Amino acid sequence: MANLQTTSRLGQTKANLLTPTRLGQTLRKQLKKNSGFLFVAPAVLIFLVFGLYTIIYSFVLSFFRWKGSSIFSLFPPTCEAPGCAFWGLQNYKDFLYEDKGVAKLFWMAMENNLVVALVVPAATILISLLIAIALNRAGRTIPLFRTIMMLPMVTSGIAVYFAWSSIYLSDGPLNAMLNAAGLGFLSAPHGWLGTAGTALPALMVVMVWSSVPLAVILYMAGLQTIDQELYEAATIDGANSWHMLWYITWPLLRPVTFIILIFAINSAFQGFDLPLLMTKGGPANHTQVVGLRIFSFGFGDDLQLGIASAMGWVLFLLVFVISLINLRIFRPAAEEVSK
Amino acid sequence: MTREPLSLSMEKLGLGQKLWALIAFLCLLAYLVISIYPFLWMIASALKDNSEVLTNSSLIPKQVHWEILADVWNRLDFWQYFLNSLMISVPIVIGTVIVYSLAGYGFAMTKFWGKEFLYVFFMGLIVVPTIVVLVPLVQELRAFGLIGRDASKFATYVGLIIPAINGGGPWAIFLFRSYFDSMPRDLRDAARIDGCSEWGVYARIYLPLAIPAIATVGITNFISSWNAYVFPSVVINNPDWYTLPLQLRYLDMQSVVQWNVRMAGSLITVLPVIIAFLFLQRYYIRGLTAAAVK
Repeated sequence: MANLQTTSRLGQTKANLLTPTRLGQTLRKQLKKNSGFLFVAPAVLIFLVFGLYTIIYSFVLSFFRWKGSSIFSLFPPTCEAPGCAFWGLQNYKDFLYEDKGVAKLFWMAMENNLVVALVVPAATILISLLIAIALNRAGRTIPLFRTIMMLPMVTSGIAVYFAWSSIYLSDGPLNAMLNAAGLGFLSAPHGWLGTAGTALPALMVVMVWSSVPLAVILYMAGLQTIDQELYEAATIDGANSWHMLWYITWPLLRPVTFIILIFAINSAFQGFDLPLLMTKGGPANHTQVVGLRIFSFGFGDDLQLGIASAMGWVLFLLVFVISLINLRIFRPAAEEVSK
Repeated sequence: MTREPLSLSMEKLGLGQKLWALIAFLCLLAYLVISIYPFLWMIASALKDNSEVLTNSSLIPKQVHWEILADVWNRLDFWQYFLNSLMISVPIVIGTVIVYSLAGYGFAMTKFWGKEFLYVFFMGLIVVPTIVVLVPLVQELRAFGLIGRDASKFATYVGLIIPAINGGGPWAIFLFRSYFDSMPRDLRDAARIDGCSEWGVYARIYLPLAIPAIATVGITNFISSWNAYVFPSVVINNPDWYTLPLQLRYLDMQSVVQWNVRMAGSLITVLPVIIAFLFLQRYYIRGLTAAAVK
């Protein structure tokens, strides 16, 4: 197309160009030049039908009041009273500040989300980096060790949540072990998930537990690419292991950290199946997260599809901004290093 | 792959460094125990008597009850939910690998108008929370007749499979593109000069060499679709069509919690993933590594 336009701007060639055979040739040439698009076409097609449509739909819906009865649709644009009404920004206002009950729960959930998004990625990175370095030092890792270490990644999901739930029970093995070790004062007599102060930390332990293995694999891959001569040179210059970690390993692993952070931040904000299945947001909303609120407005007791969509977009905006910050901090370093 | 890490043998180390090595070793060991403990607990609880699950916190049952596993599989029809899960997960894995290996190849090896923009756009989709599009997705599936009272099992599953393929898209594109990018371009150029079509280059040369990437994408999507709970729970409305996670949850809501039954069901749910992973982990790690250090 670009070719056609530039030449047609030169008036004198225009007449020549637009003879049917010439046009056909140009088109064929353009098609051939862009034929690579055919490889991407199936992905684009699926996205257009099941991705883009739903994204636009949810954005439009966030400005409407609708409980799912009567008709709301994009093609043709319909919003049939009495079940559906244009609501403007009211959905956003409602859960952000106007409707006190809804807003209070939303901000509680947001607070929990932010705690999770700070603690889980940080803990994941710290633990996995140390393990990766230790494994790398150990040289060849025992295959069995590697397999066991990766188990948590393979089996996130309801089965493992059940296992953890039973471990956290008041009669469960965690309390039993603490008591046996003489640390009974640390135990949670009402169960770790049933106590207000320990429920969220207990969930975060499961999140870190399941996200560490992937991070270890990625960090080990990153460590393999670091030139060993850098460490040897640093040793000669009298650097200790702490210096090497801080000035060589950490900066050179930045691109890997970036990928791990994308994973971790996404799951911190998006994941709600874990609280849904383990605590249902309780006790007393101490493990409430935004995803769970959206689910409740979208499919649960609070059924207000417009509010569900509006909340979803606020969540998206937040994740988007945080990801951009992540990109600013960690990505430029990647290019510097590769130069 | 593995390079000799600062080859320091134990004799050359000072006392302080020996101490550090010991601490590192103990930390790794502790981590290993934490990694595997929930699984051991799951196995132990599945073999215990129900009352024993909550009274005996040891990993060794007083008496081994194999019959619980058999009972869950047969009497509670877990074999049926197992098949249901398989009917959903396998097409998702195959579809994802086909669609996004093509796309990954297109992004890595070919040229077309708007390629860079399209790639960045797909990567941007990673940050769109799935919960945002869940409401419209259900409405859309209903409009297509894939959900609802009249929808057949096949229609319902199609409605589960295609959006799941789309959902796994951005990561799959990222992994495949990174992997194809790390392969030499000369292969393609030489084959093209010899008259091989672009499609032929993809199907006969690059895809067979991309087994690590296929394993990584395949396993990632198998795990997520096998464990998926939220999306299937809003789409499937007939208990006979439930997947393993839904049935596990359903059991739980029906009656007083029987921990040993629950754990036996959980064990049946996690085993296939673990077995698949055991066979493919070498490739999985290679595919992931190529993407991470590109």
